[in-house]
Amino acid sequence: MAWNEPGGKNNDPWKNKGSRDQGPPDLDDIFKNLFGKFTKKGGGGGSSGGKGFGNISIGIVVGLLVVVWVISGFYTIREAERGVVLRFGEFNQFVDPGLQWKPTFIDTVIPINVQSIKSMGSKGSMLTEDENVVGVEMELQYRIVEPYKYTFAVTDPEQSLNQAFNSALRYVVGHSTMDNILTSGREVARQQVWQELEAIIEPYDMGMAIVDINFKDARPPNAVRDAFDDAIAAQEDEQRFIREAEAYAREIEPKARGQVNRMAEEAQAYKQRVTLEAQGEVARFGELLPQYVAAPQVTRERLYLEAMEQVYSNTSKIIVDSQGSGNMMYLPLDKILERQNSSTPPQGSRSTLDGLRSDVVTGQNSGNANPPNLRSDSNRLGRTNR
Amino acid sequence: MRNFVLILIVALVVLGLSSIFVVTEGKKAIVVQFGKVQKDADGQSVVFEPGLHFKIPLIERIITLDARIQTLDDPSDRFVTAEKKDLIVDSYVKWRIEDFAKYYLSTGGNKIQAEALLKQKVNNGLRSEFGSRTIPQIVSGERSELMDLALKQAAESSDELGIKIVDVRVKQINLPEEISNSIFQRMRAEREAVAREHRSEGREQAEVIRANIDAKVTVMLAEAERNLLETKGQGDAQAAKIYADTYSKSPEFYSFLRSMDAYKESFDSKQDVLVVEPTNDFFKYMKSSAQKN
Repeated sequence: MAWNEPGGKNNDPWKNKGSRDQGPPDLDDIFKNLFGKFTKKGGGGGSSGGKGFGNISIGIVVGLLVVVWVISGFYTIREAERGVVLRFGEFNQFVDPGLQWKPTFIDTVIPINVQSIKSMGSKGSMLTEDENVVGVEMELQYRIVEPYKYTFAVTDPEQSLNQAFNSALRYVVGHSTMDNILTSGREVARQQVWQELEAIIEPYDMGMAIVDINFKDARPPNAVRDAFDDAIAAQEDEQRFIREAEAYAREIEPKARGQVNRMAEEAQAYKQRVTLEAQGEVARFGELLPQYVAAPQVTRERLYLEAMEQVYSNTSKIIVDSQGSGNMMYLPLDKILERQNSSTPPQGSRSTLDGLRSDVVTGQNSGNANPPNLRSDSNRLGRTNR
Repeated sequence: MRNFVLILIVALVVLGLSSIFVVTEGKKAIVVQFGKVQKDADGQSVVFEPGLHFKIPLIERIITLDARIQTLDDPSDRFVTAEKKDLIVDSYVKWRIEDFAKYYLSTGGNKIQAEALLKQKVNNGLRSEFGSRTIPQIVSGERSELMDLALKQAAESSDELGIKIVDVRVKQINLPEEISNSIFQRMRAEREAVAREHRSEGREQAEVIRANIDAKVTVMLAEAERNLLETKGQGDAQAAKIYADTYSKSPEFYSFLRSMDAYKESFDSKQDVLVVEPTNDFFKYMKSSAQKN
């Protein structure tokens, strides 16, 4: 200490000859000395009231200065902070939150926030392992844990952390393929960046701890974004084609089965129909056969006459007796047919009637003129039409 | 008397104040006396730790130096790789003063000058490391070895400056602007190829599915058709058997009966004109009513 130097130099700034090793100077002694000095000096001049006034005013001024010095030493440390106390520039101690006092000019206090979590980001375009370019963005959350190291280990610790973060991020991306970073390798990349960053800042010893790292985004560079989006769209298209084909398959198979079913049913129905028809027909035959066997001649004649009756009653007849006379007979068939055409609506047409059909369409009355040789159904023998 | 005492007091105070100095945390100080750095008994330079110290006023001069880790970060540099390709590299160096006296003597305590000298040494190291590697090695494979070796190289020569290099790190490795475009082209083309592959694979699979199902359906329908005709045939055979079984009991009667039905069906409308002779069996009794057998 200046006033303690072995050389015997007595350079005590406060001129306190008496108390050499007693820490902060004694206030009373200060008063006395200054008091004494000025009384000595003022002793020569000697005005009657000057003595008293001088002493008191000097004392008041000094006292005020001391009070101001004391008050200026009060300060507060907030809840989230710790204070780093330097005495004469040298690290002295930490102080906890609350109201504290320091001797001004002697002590300096630096409050450091050790609880709040701050964040910083890192983003940019970077090269991947397969010489592609991707844009990656990550975010880092950190906290100051050792205030002394934070303040005195590195110049600008935040910037150092940022640089290290950038370096770690690009290091990890440079060791990954582009596909990895863009899709499935994000979690792994995030952890690797964390590890790498911790390794980088360890020798710096900055007193900061990394709380969390988040992988915010990874995307291909803008210039190639379209191509990338199209590749994804192509994957979707691939799936779409397959699904469409599957839908087609799912639609067509049941339809085919339905058709198969229908055909089977149709076949069965036909089989049954034909069988039943046959059975029906032969049933009639079967009924008639015993009758025939019992009285063949009669049955035949009866059936014949019934059939012919129906035939002749439903058709137009011309009875021609060609035996006996060798004359040529004129048979106006076209007139006959014309008449027949007009009386009944034409059904199935024969080729010989086609030429007459136009006359029919123009409308005709059903003429009833009967040439003498003709018999029509209007000249029946009083039998009702069957 | 009074004035003399006053002047004496002031002089002593000033002298006293100029003989003490404070070194703050994060800094160290050396003493220069008559242009020479003060050394202690062992010949080592005297370095003052943080705190309150004393010196001889007027004779001794105090040089305060930053003892913290410094960062040297310059804008990006261009390096050539083993493949004669260019890379734009942004790196930083972390250094601190190790030997304060040597540092002061070689740089005059001027940080800017120190950094300029340091940068040259570090860049040399980096350049030789980059120049002996290919781009894939630089970007990924040997990235950390590269930095370690550059650090070692620079560390050897930075000792002369009294500086210890704590870290040499590569922040950014980028390809020059001109090459970026061709890289983008390549990326685009590669993506296009992937897209095309996906799409045509999708179509291929769709075709396979469709062809499979079409074949299946065709076979299914053909089988059904065959079964249909088989069954119809069975039905026809059954019917024919029934007919034959019964009708063969009396073929002639069947022929007669069936003919009657045929006549009834065929001639059933007024359009049909029958020209008949009275010798027909039907008109048997028309000519005469005599008994016929």
